[in-house]
Amino acid sequence: MAKNRKKRSEKGVLQLLRFRTTILILLILVLGFGAIVLRIGYLQLIQGAELQEKAVEQQLVDTTINSKRGSIYDAKGKILAQSASVWRVVLSPIYFESNEQREYVAQNLSKILGLDYKDLYKKTKQESYYVVIKRKIESNEREKILSFVEQLTKKYKKLGGLISLIDDYKRYYPYEDLAASVIGFTGSDDQGLEGVEYQYDKYLTGTPGRIITARNANQTDMPFQYEQNVEAKDGNSITLTIDETIQSIAEKYMKRGLAENQVVNRGVCIIMDVNTGGILAMVTADGYDLNKPYDLSDADLDAIKKLDTEEKRAEAESAALSAMWRNKAIADTYYPGSVFKMCTASMALNEGKVNDNSTFYCGGSVTIYDHNIHCHYTAGHGSQNFFQAIANSCNPAFIQIGNLVGAEKFFKYYEAFGFSEPTGIDLPGESDDLFFKDNKMSETDLAISSFGQGFSITPIQMLTACASIANGGKVVQPYVVQTITDVDGNVVKNTETTYKRQVISKETADKMCSYLERNTIQGGRNNGYVAGYRVGGKTGTSEKIGTSRSGHKDYIASFCGFAPADDAQVACLIFFDTPTGASYYGSQVSAPVFVDIMSEVLPYLEIQAEYSDNEKKYVDTVAGSYVGLTVKKAQSAAKDDGFTTTVKGSGSKVISQIPSAASKIPTGGNVVLYTDKESRKNKVTVPDMVGYGVDTVNNLASDYGLNVSFTGVTSSGNSVSTSQSIAPGSEVKEGTVISVKFGGGTVVHD
Amino acid sequence: MLPFAQVMRQADVNKLYDEKLNNRRRRAQAQSERRGNPQGRKRRSRVKAKLFERGMGLDLPFLLLVIVLLIIGMIMMFSASYPTAYYSSRINDSYFYIRRQLIYAAIGVAAMLLVSFFNYNKLHKLAPIMLGISYLALVVVLLVPGNVHRWFEIGPINIQASEITKFAIILFFAHWGSLYYDKMQYAKYSVLPGFAIFGSTAALLVLEPHYSGIVIIGILTIVMLYISGMKSFYLALGGIFLVLAVIVAWVTGILTYAMTRMEGWGQALIYTTEEMWQTTWQTRNSLYAIGSGGLFGLGLGQSRQKYLYLPEPQNDFVFAVVCEELGFVGALIILLIFALLVWRGITLSLRSKDRFGKLLGIGLSSQIGIQVVLNILVITDWLPNTGISLPFFSFGGSSLIMLLAQMGLILSISRTANIEKQ
Repeated sequence: MAKNRKKRSEKGVLQLLRFRTTILILLILVLGFGAIVLRIGYLQLIQGAELQEKAVEQQLVDTTINSKRGSIYDAKGKILAQSASVWRVVLSPIYFESNEQREYVAQNLSKILGLDYKDLYKKTKQESYYVVIKRKIESNEREKILSFVEQLTKKYKKLGGLISLIDDYKRYYPYEDLAASVIGFTGSDDQGLEGVEYQYDKYLTGTPGRIITARNANQTDMPFQYEQNVEAKDGNSITLTIDETIQSIAEKYMKRGLAENQVVNRGVCIIMDVNTGGILAMVTADGYDLNKPYDLSDADLDAIKKLDTEEKRAEAESAALSAMWRNKAIADTYYPGSVFKMCTASMALNEGKVNDNSTFYCGGSVTIYDHNIHCHYTAGHGSQNFFQAIANSCNPAFIQIGNLVGAEKFFKYYEAFGFSEPTGIDLPGESDDLFFKDNKMSETDLAISSFGQGFSITPIQMLTACASIANGGKVVQPYVVQTITDVDGNVVKNTETTYKRQVISKETADKMCSYLERNTIQGGRNNGYVAGYRVGGKTGTSEKIGTSRSGHKDYIASFCGFAPADDAQVACLIFFDTPTGASYYGSQVSAPVFVDIMSEVLPYLEIQAEYSDNEKKYVDTVAGSYVGLTVKKAQSAAKDDGFTTTVKGSGSKVISQIPSAASKIPTGGNVVLYTDKESRKNKVTVPDMVGYGVDTVNNLASDYGLNVSFTGVTSSGNSVSTSQSIAPGSEVKEGTVISVKFGGGTVVHD
Repeated sequence: MLPFAQVMRQADVNKLYDEKLNNRRRRAQAQSERRGNPQGRKRRSRVKAKLFERGMGLDLPFLLLVIVLLIIGMIMMFSASYPTAYYSSRINDSYFYIRRQLIYAAIGVAAMLLVSFFNYNKLHKLAPIMLGISYLALVVVLLVPGNVHRWFEIGPINIQASEITKFAIILFFAHWGSLYYDKMQYAKYSVLPGFAIFGSTAALLVLEPHYSGIVIIGILTIVMLYISGMKSFYLALGGIFLVLAVIVAWVTGILTYAMTRMEGWGQALIYTTEEMWQTTWQTRNSLYAIGSGGLFGLGLGQSRQKYLYLPEPQNDFVFAVVCEELGFVGALIILLIFALLVWRGITLSLRSKDRFGKLLGIGLSSQIGIQVVLNILVITDWLPNTGISLPFFSFGGSSLIMLLAQMGLILSISRTANIEKQ
């Protein structure tokens, strides 16, 4: 039995082997290979797209090509902000093979780029492909780097990819601090941080391009032609309504105003085209250099240094910076004070509550409930008509005028003038007004509001309201950006004037213009009178709510006016925050600055000057060139130009003249013609010409053989010279022009 | 090629050895009152020779498949390895791997042809010695310093200890199975030595650690015992036990833990922790490479993942690059060639006139198939990433030479099988 089983087994063993081998083949080749084929098929054909995407994601490197930021131009096409090519130096220290190489490269690069050798050497030790060595290098440094790379690759063949220069852009502001608070500046990533740069960032930025390349895991290029470029699209350019010339004029006088009046918290000047709303100049003086927006003034730095902890210093520094960058013209709110009287008067006039013959009595103060409100003229203005109330800037009279309007209407006009909402000017950081709680006014509120106290508005709101009076009653939307053009010069966006509403009738507006014009004429320089021009305006002095100096009351001296009064083109607001000089009154601090600015801006705007007969005498004329002519011919030419002549010397021809050709001399001034060298040696001593009337100064000048150029107010009879351009006692040549400034007129301490 | 006469002479020698062995076995069988099966001879004579085998001792199709796979493998290994070799600051030579692999292949092919003339029956005696060497190697390798002990050096060659073990196991069980061909149904002759040898080997492999080695050794042990005639019952018992163990592990959460411990097995695409994300880096990038290939691949040499994303693409993960460059179609063709090789190896071994040759040939052929399957399961994240190379493709001197020598053995078996038919 056992034998049989064994025999079967012998045969069976082989059969079993064959059977089991078949099973084995099935298991390995069908089950095993089947499984892996299915698995690979699943991964490649079904999950393939997803996996490939993930693979590509890690293989492709997306390099951004910076787009060139658009330029910013002034209204006349002058470049205010521009981007220029610079480069970023990037090191891939992973390629270094020895410290000798590191030293060599660190030494040369630190020399070329002016960097610290030790810092740089430390960077060469990093195991990285991307270490930024220096940002924003310019083309001269770039050239040096390129030649060094050439030299380096000759020396160490493997260091070819060590240094790379990446295209970048740097922002330049050719006019440095001009219109700083309007233009703003950009950050290190070319992003706009303030002003127009911030507001119009998306237009200016353009679209960055991309280079997509395949990289290995070490981030160096793979040997594939796997590159895809998307060109960068440069940003749009912006043309502002700001005119560099007007802005410069405004800044010049604002700076002088700051210095003369020892202004603590800077000043604002806005000049606006009253018909379009375009801002011609917007000054926050002093500005800051846009090329170095993080450089604080020495005074600020000293103050910060005195602080004891690092934390306080950092806090103070950031506070100082944001104060420096602040566009006070739109971000500050203040009590408009007497300037607002032009609005109160407009309301009353428009509502028919007052007319030329309305009379108002001022006894020096008014009691409303328990509040005793003083007039700035404590003796009292007595009985005044409507115009006199404006010219006197009489508070009790305006309380009566406000009362006639009533709280409800007052607020309605307040809203209609655009005080209750931001003007919507296209600049960042505009503040809201601060009116009474729930917009409800008590009787006292109405009383103080009628002369511009008790509520806060921004300078731009005040100017917009003034512009609406000047332009016939239309509230316009102020703006600074006129056009946006793309790289090819196509206009992307053009700002059209937006009229928000008619706040007062044209008749009311015209009437207000004539009142305000008369106000300036009566007040002279201190009410904003500009020789040769019809201007309208109102002064204002308002107390600040808080105070920055202990023991002192802080004031804001302002002036708001427009010109020409009969057909207004521009409106201008001057605002000095906390003047600490001899005076803090709008009439003495701000109005003269308005006059100075307008006397330059109006001629620039080609607004024809019309001088009164009295003024005509003092209007400057440009001297012609008489050199080289015979004495007779020169004399007749000078006469034709409206000058008298004095001939010095015995020659037959004019060899030189004083004043020189093209300089300004008052009409009827004296031109000294020199005919020989000897005669030119004559000198005269400049007399003291301050403290006299116009005629006296004129006579003095002609006695000394000098010419006088009259500036300031010379129209009113009580003008007195306040300063002269060349100090008394100086030796000058005969005929030299000395400019003498006159002040005068009624000073209103409102 | 060798002169025909020489081949024939060698075949005669083989025949002589064979008869000698059979006689000896008959004597042994007679002693234990057991007889050889005369029908076996009849069966062998029934086998028909195929056309191109006629006149040749060794199996040409098999040789051809080996050469084809070797060439494709070398090309793909070169393609996969040159970026790594180029960018490596230590190597810095694109040809580093292929140059060495070419040398190994040359030695391997020479060894293969030499071994093909060798009478494999001589290995009978060597089988227990080989097993001893395997144990020795597994112990010696543990003495090599480092966290992972898989290789030791002999002269210029790095030897993976488990390469020796795999061959030793196949050889030993082929020897054992042919010696006790009629007693394999008894647990004492099958299950017991299986457990003893696999258990002791696995214990040493755990210390390395080399889990995939354990898997391969385990599968090879089972395959060898199975074809040798072990009762299916034991296998089924083992299978049930394994399934139960897996279920228990799964239910208790040990499986997940183990999967996490084993190089983040099965978690390559899921982000859990940064550490795990780094651990599964190689497997994940392997999947990216395979997935990137799609149906037709990126083209030969066009893999992107081999550019340092896939670490060591010349070793276990070479097939991921193959999939990326040649696509599903290319991968399928290569797998087909592998399948043909396994098929041919097994079928020609079956025609061997003696049991030892059959078992040895089937074992060696299966080993290739098993290793291909396991390797691809590893690179596709279905098995933990613990070092299973792909035959003919992965870089490695000792394994390639060993592999080709083993192919030589199969050729040697084919030679004797064919001789019988002449």
